[in-house]
Amino acid sequence: MHDADIKACEEVIKMATVAESKWEIKVPDKPLKDKLYFENLKSVVIDTEICSRCLTCAAVCPGGITVVGDKVDFPDYETKCLDCGACVRVCPRFVYEPLSGMGSSTAFIAGRSNRFAGQDGAMVTELIVSAMEMGIIDRGLFAGRNENWETEMFHVRDPEQLAITTLSGTKYTFADVLPELKKAVKFTQNGVGVVGTPCIVSGVRKLQQEYPIFREKVKLVVGLFCTENFHYSAISQYLRDKGVDFSKLVKTDITMGKFIATMTDSEVKFKVKALEEILPSGCNVCCDFTAVEADASVGSVGSVPGFSTISVREAIAVKILDYIKEKGYAEFGEGDPGQLGFLVGHKKKRAENLKK
Amino acid sequence: MKKVTVQDQGLVEKTKCHAAAIGVAMKESVYPLTATVQYPRQRKKMPDNFRGYILFDPDKCINCWECAFICPANAIRMKEAPNKKYYPTIDYGKCIFCHFCIDSCTDSALRTTKIHDVAYKDMDEMVTLTEEMIEPPEIVREDTKLVEYLIDDKDLQIKKTREVDSLFMDEVPPSVEIPVVSQCIDGASCIGCHVCEYVCGSGAISSSIANGVMNMAIDTDNCTGCGLCVKECTMQILKLVRK
Repeated sequence: MHDADIKACEEVIKMATVAESKWEIKVPDKPLKDKLYFENLKSVVIDTEICSRCLTCAAVCPGGITVVGDKVDFPDYETKCLDCGACVRVCPRFVYEPLSGMGSSTAFIAGRSNRFAGQDGAMVTELIVSAMEMGIIDRGLFAGRNENWETEMFHVRDPEQLAITTLSGTKYTFADVLPELKKAVKFTQNGVGVVGTPCIVSGVRKLQQEYPIFREKVKLVVGLFCTENFHYSAISQYLRDKGVDFSKLVKTDITMGKFIATMTDSEVKFKVKALEEILPSGCNVCCDFTAVEADASVGSVGSVPGFSTISVREAIAVKILDYIKEKGYAEFGEGDPGQLGFLVGHKKKRAENLKK
Repeated sequence: MKKVTVQDQGLVEKTKCHAAAIGVAMKESVYPLTATVQYPRQRKKMPDNFRGYILFDPDKCINCWECAFICPANAIRMKEAPNKKYYPTIDYGKCIFCHFCIDSCTDSALRTTKIHDVAYKDMDEMVTLTEEMIEPPEIVREDTKLVEYLIDDKDLQIKKTREVDSLFMDEVPPSVEIPVVSQCIDGASCIGCHVCEYVCGSGAISSSIANGVMNMAIDTDNCTGCGLCVKECTMQILKLVRK
């Protein structure tokens, strides 16, 4: 640098003065006073088996909350926990008030995507991709799978990426959406769109409630109708015992109370009720079928075969659906919320399990 | 075909030319004009900031890992020291002497020397541990002359002086930098994990709890602008701004 440049720099530096940086953080309450916050979370949520495995805690934990086996855990928390309390601040079930019903739905629409093929996911994909085309978001989080049908998260930034066949199809297995959402929030320029089961939607809302960075960056939250979800280890073992060969498995589906695993050469069918023995304890106390906190929820119940029901709640979802209609990306029909009644009622009953 | 004939210059001119040639030969025999440096008896004068053997000062190191991250040859590994800090080790089998590590070192803990002649017995020995980087390696100096190449517009002049050059640089003046300090841009998104406070080497970040509220503050006078807290912040809400 020349001397003149240095002088010019110094002048600028003198002009710009920085005030002392100060900020405040709310310290959450501790039910167990002399224990670490993770021990509080463990005793209130994990050990009482109401943990939904939404991994909101793992998304914010600077130490290392992770999944060990089927449970959320923190190896070596005695030495590694920083006792910041972020986990109890964001856990949707630390102070659990079960949500149920339909939420503030303004409309029920039946829709079928013309661009994407698949199960209920096609309409979800349509919503996220349309939001991406509109410029509301610049990336969407999708759950894909590997050849053993374990879930893997994908950041989709271009509709062409959806050519990955493993992204479509329902998995009925927990996915690590929220830890990935935190990464997406770091990288995004405009905003992120996220898809999830009711527990994941609750986690996102809790994060948004606590931390402005998530309010700012997570623009679209699409919920999925969900009766229950399964731990990968439990359901894969169960399906193997039933004679399902994962290398040949094409898709899994639940229709008319039956679980159908379609393989290239055969099919395995059994009643969904049989899966109750491997039902995760967290799902056993969940009353939310329609993801009441989502901007829009999507599921196959409540519309004719081939169509998905969209429960519209927020203005942003209305805007995206208008765009889809305008572009002709999907066919629309009337949804029938009456058909949802049975499953909503069925999940509402699980509130009794919470009291136990 | 044309035959080239040498012009006859005459006896006087011929004698002059011969005398000049003998003169150059005599001069060369006394002061030979060769570019070769008779290493190790002579040593070439290296420029300041020569990219040679790297020395390390643990007292100045702030554990930012910048050297290991930037190394394009992956020659730098961080190893845990007994004081629980991580210090660099350099594998000279991999090092390409780009000295990006020295350029990126925030507090000048790494510095260069003019040492370019170190011998190793095997590849394992080329992994230089932190404790070996604090002191320069043992060097047997046989040189008595310092060779300096003086390049002007016309010609290369070689200057040889009877002196022994120091292989260690004098204190390098610090480069002019725009002073920056760390600042929190979104205090409401802070999770209160204290990681910034733990990593801060200069104690500029402080915290206190009163009435269920944690107060965090960055003292801009003490902050050196090393950027370690900015890198470590899990919520990415710290930013370097001009002081």
